[in-house]
Amino acid sequence: MSLRLPPALRRYAEHPFWQAVGLLVLAYVVVVFVIPLLPGSAIVPKSVVLQYMATVLVGVLIYVSDNEERWARFKEPLGALATEPRLKLVRGVVLAGVTGLVGLVTYGQVRTTVAAPPNLRSIHPAPPTEITFRGHSVTLTGLDNPLRQHPESAAAHLVVGKRIYYQNCLPCHGDHLDGQGHYASGFNPIPANFQDNGTIAQLTESFVFWRIAKGGPGLPREGTPWNSAMPRWEDFLTEREIWSVILFLYDQTGWTPRTWEKTVSSER
Amino acid sequence: MTNRVMFCVTLFGAAVSTPLTAYRSPLTAQDTVKGKAVYVKWCAGCHGDTGAGDGAAAPAMLPRPRNFTGAVYKIRTTASGQLPTDADLMSAIDEGLPGSAMPAWKARLSEAERRDVIAYIKTFSSFFADTSQHIVPLGFGKEPGGGTSAQAVKTGRSFYDSIGCRKCHGDQGRGDGPSAPTLKDDAGFPIFAADLHQSWRFRGGGRTEDIYRRLRTGLDGTPMPSFSDLIDQKFLTDEELWRLSQYVRSLSPAREPEVRDVIHAPQLGGTLPAAPDDTTWARVDRYWFPLVGQVIRKPRWFAPTVSGVWVQAVHNGRELALRLCWDDRTLSPDTAWLAFERRVLETVASDDSTPPVAGLWPDQVAVQLPRHIPDGMERPYFLMGTGTDPVYQWRWTSEPRRTVAGLARGLEQFDTLGAAPESQAVWDHGEWRVVLTRSLATPDTANELQFVAGRAIPVAFFAWDGSNGEHGSRLAVSTWYFLALDQPTPPRVFVSPVVAMALTLGLGFMVVWRAQRRAGGSRGTGAGVGAGAET
Amino acid sequence: MRKLGSVGVVAVAGSLLTLAIAAWTRQPPAQAGATITGKVKFTGTKPAMPKIDMSEEPKCKAKYPAAPPTEETVVVNPNGTLANVFVYVKAGLPASYKAPAPSGPVTLDQDGCRYHPHAFGIMVGQNLQIKNSDGILHNIKAKGTGTKNRPFNISQPTTMTSTRTFSAPEVMVPLECNVHGWMHAWLGVLPHAFYGVSGADGTFSITGLPPGTYTVEAWHEKYGTQTATVTVSGSETKTADFTFAGK
Repeated sequence: MSLRLPPALRRYAEHPFWQAVGLLVLAYVVVVFVIPLLPGSAIVPKSVVLQYMATVLVGVLIYVSDNEERWARFKEPLGALATEPRLKLVRGVVLAGVTGLVGLVTYGQVRTTVAAPPNLRSIHPAPPTEITFRGHSVTLTGLDNPLRQHPESAAAHLVVGKRIYYQNCLPCHGDHLDGQGHYASGFNPIPANFQDNGTIAQLTESFVFWRIAKGGPGLPREGTPWNSAMPRWEDFLTEREIWSVILFLYDQTGWTPRTWEKTVSSER
Repeated sequence: MTNRVMFCVTLFGAAVSTPLTAYRSPLTAQDTVKGKAVYVKWCAGCHGDTGAGDGAAAPAMLPRPRNFTGAVYKIRTTASGQLPTDADLMSAIDEGLPGSAMPAWKARLSEAERRDVIAYIKTFSSFFADTSQHIVPLGFGKEPGGGTSAQAVKTGRSFYDSIGCRKCHGDQGRGDGPSAPTLKDDAGFPIFAADLHQSWRFRGGGRTEDIYRRLRTGLDGTPMPSFSDLIDQKFLTDEELWRLSQYVRSLSPAREPEVRDVIHAPQLGGTLPAAPDDTTWARVDRYWFPLVGQVIRKPRWFAPTVSGVWVQAVHNGRELALRLCWDDRTLSPDTAWLAFERRVLETVASDDSTPPVAGLWPDQVAVQLPRHIPDGMERPYFLMGTGTDPVYQWRWTSEPRRTVAGLARGLEQFDTLGAAPESQAVWDHGEWRVVLTRSLATPDTANELQFVAGRAIPVAFFAWDGSNGEHGSRLAVSTWYFLALDQPTPPRVFVSPVVAMALTLGLGFMVVWRAQRRAGGSRGTGAGVGAGAET
Repeated sequence: MRKLGSVGVVAVAGSLLTLAIAAWTRQPPAQAGATITGKVKFTGTKPAMPKIDMSEEPKCKAKYPAAPPTEETVVVNPNGTLANVFVYVKAGLPASYKAPAPSGPVTLDQDGCRYHPHAFGIMVGQNLQIKNSDGILHNIKAKGTGTKNRPFNISQPTTMTSTRTFSAPEVMVPLECNVHGWMHAWLGVLPHAFYGVSGADGTFSITGLPPGTYTVEAWHEKYGTQTATVTVSGSETKTADFTFAGK
C-alpha cells in the first residue's frame, strides 16, 4: 500500500501474467534454496521439487482463470508473443528454448544411470516381547528401568552411565548425543540422534534396552540389520551398565521416557 | 591441588565481587560458576573433572583431549609458548578440531555457555591469572595473490625443502619423514606429523591462512615449532612463508572430498590399466570413502591411521580394474616404526583380554562384495558378513605382496578361494596405490561375485596399517557403498529426445500459426486493446 | 701484500679482543664470599649408552670421524666421576636476597647434532642464546612443565641464534630437538647465581656465597637428586661430595 513502485514496474506487478511468473519463481526459490536452510531440513529431492512446482502451477492457473477479465489479461502477453511482428526474435528464442529443454529432459529420463537403491528401513521396528540377555530371559513388555526404583541412588547410577557412554558410545553418538561423533560419517545409517524428539523421547526404556543389548545384528529385516554399525552391547556391558547408560541418555538430553502406564491403560 | 585452591579463591572472589563487577567485565568470576556447570555436563567426559585431559573417553583417544592445567594450546594466534587469546579458545570450541574427536560446539551450546566455559577452563591454570603474561596476537599480513599459480607453488616448495619440513612431514608431505617415527608430544604420547594431503583434517583449519598461522605460531605442546624467529631475523620474508603455506595448501583437494554412494566404472576399449601409475587413471573419476575405527566387535580399535580411501574403477566388458589409493605413512612392516607402534599400543585403551603386542605386521586392504548381486535391499552384514551369510572379499597384503580372494564369515574367519584377482601395488612417499583386476565372470559362480553392467553392486572397504599395530579386528572400516559398471550410451537413447524435440517444435509452430491467423482476422480491435495496454 | 698484512693484524687483534671480551663476560663477577666445591662420584655399573645413528644428517655425522657418538643420559668420566650433574643452592639464602640477572647471556650451542652444554644453569631473566652451528634444521623446544615457565618451540633451519628468557625459577626445564630425537638438554633456572655443573673431571664449584647454612642439591637426569647441608662463612671453601649409584 505504502509501497510506491515506479510506473513501469507497477505495470508488471499488477499484470496477472507477470504475477503468475513471479509466484512460480518465488516458489522455486523457496523450495530449492530456502527450505534446506531451515533447521532440521535437507535438500529437497528433484522429483519432490517437480511435484511442488506442479502444484503451485495448478494453483496459479486456477487463480488467473478465476475471473474472465484476469484470464483475458493473463493471455495477452502470450498472444502478443505469438503474433506481434516486433517480438519475432523473442518468439524464435522461446520456441528454440522450449524445444531444447524438452530434449534435455527427455534425455535425462531415458538415459540409464545406476543409482544407489533406495534404503528403506523402519527406524523403530516393533520390539520383541522377550529377549535373551546373556542366556537369561528378559521380558520387555511392561519393563521399566529397574534403576529408577531407588531415586536416592540415581546420582551414583548416572556417574556410571556417563562413564559407560564416554567409553563406548561417544565415537558414534557424539559429545552432544546428537549422533554426530567423529566416527558417524563412516556409517550409514548415521547413528541415532538422542537430542531429536523422534528417538528416545518417543520410546520406552525397555525399547532402548533392547536396541542397546542386541544392536544392529538384533534388528528385524525391516530395520536393515546388515547396515547397522550398532554393536551388540550384551557382549561388552552388563545389564546394570546398560540401564545406567539409559538413565544417562535421558538425563543428559532432558527427555523423559515413554511410560507403559499410558499404553497399557489405552489398551484396556 | 593448586587448581582446587585457585577455584576456591575464584569462587570466594565471585561471592564478594559479583555485585560490583558483574556489569563491567564480560568474563566475570560469576561466569566461571555457570561455566563449570557447562564444563561438567559437556566437557568433563573427555577433558576430565580437573581439566587434566583424563576424562572417561580419553584413554581410547589419540590425539588425547587437551590437558588444561598447563595452559598449553596448539591452535593460537599468539607467539610460541604464549597463552591463547579468548578468541582463540572460542574458535577452537566453535569450530572444533578437525581430525580429532573435538566437535564444533557453535550450534550446540549458546554463546553465553561457550563464553562461560572459557572462563572456567582458564581457572585450571594459574598462568591465566598471572598478570605478567601478556597475551598479544601476532600481526598476520595478508596473503599475497597468485597463490595457486605454478610459480607460487614452486617457490613454496623450494622453502619446504630449504627449511627442512620434509624431516617430519616427508618428501611429499604425508608425514613419513625420517624423524616422524620418533615424535612425541609434551605428555610423552606418540604423535603423527600431519599428512599435508588432508587439509580438511588440520586441527586449526585447512585454509592457506590457517596454515600460515600455524607456521608462525607453531603448535604448542607438539614437535611443530614456530617459524617466526626466521622472519624476525630476516632469514625468510613474510611473502616466502605465505608461498610455503600456499604450497602446503596445494597438496590437498580444493574442498573436503564429498562422499558419493556409487562408484561409476566407465567402459573402456582395449586392455585395462593394470599398473597403478598407468596414465589412464588420471582421466578416471575418483571417489572418496571415509574409514573409521572398528568399534563394533572385540577387540575394538579406536586409533586407525587410514582415514579414507580413494577408489577408481574401469571395465572393458570382460574385466574390471579397481584402483585404491590411500595415505599410509609407513611401508609396513618397518622396524623403524616398531618403537612408535609400541607407544601407540601402550597409549590407546584396549579391550583385548591380553594386551596387544607390537609386531611387524603388513599393511592390508580389503575390498568386500556380496557373493551375488542382491535383488532387493538385503545384503550381508557390512562388517565382513556372518557365519551363515558370508561376503566375498579381495585381500591385498604388503608382505607378502599379494592378493587373495576368499569368503569372510565375520571378523574372525576368512576362507581362501582358489582364484584371486591380479594385483599391482606401489608405495610412494606415504601413499599406497593398488590396482586389482579380475574378469567380470568366473567359473565359481556360487562364491565369487559375477559382475554385471548396469547394476548397483554393494561394495565396502577395509584397511590395516601394520605399523600402527593394526591386524585382525584392529582395522579401519567402511559401510556398504555401491559399484556400477557403466555401459556406453546405446543409440536408441538419443532417439526419444529427438522425437520429443520435433514434436514440441511442430506444436509450437502450430500454436503460433493459429494465433496469428486468429489475430489477423480481428486485427482492428485486438491491436487497439494491445495499444491501450502498452501506454 | 702489505695491505693484506695489515688486514691480518687487524683480524688477529679483533679476534683476540673478542676472545678477551668473551672470557670477561663469562667470568663470574669477581666477588668476595665463600665457595662450595665438590666431586660427583659414580659407583656401580656404568650403563651402556646407545649409539646415535646420524646417517640422516651427514653434516653431523662427519663431526665424529672416530666413532659414532652415544647418547648423553649418563656420562661417566674416565676418573669414575659423573658429569652433567647440576648442583645448586636450593635453600638457605635470606628471603631478602635479590640478585639482578647478569647482562651477559648463557649460550646453548647445537653442534654436531648435540647440545653444548648438556646440563647447565641460568638466572631468571637472563638471556639464553640458542645457537645453531650446524646449519641444518633443528627445532628447540622448552617443554612446559605446568606452572612455572611458559614453553617455546622455535625452528632454526639455518645457522642462526635465537634468544629467550625464563621468568620463574625451575629445576629443570627440559630442552629437546624433535628432528633429532636423541638431542636433550637440561636447564636449571634460578633466582641466584649459586650453581655449578659437574664437568669432565666430575667437579663443580659454587662461588661468592654469603655466609650461611645452605641446602645444596645435586640433580641428575637419570639418577634423581641428592642433597647436602653446608655451612660457610667468610671467604672459606667447603667441600660437598655426592655419590650416585648406577642402577
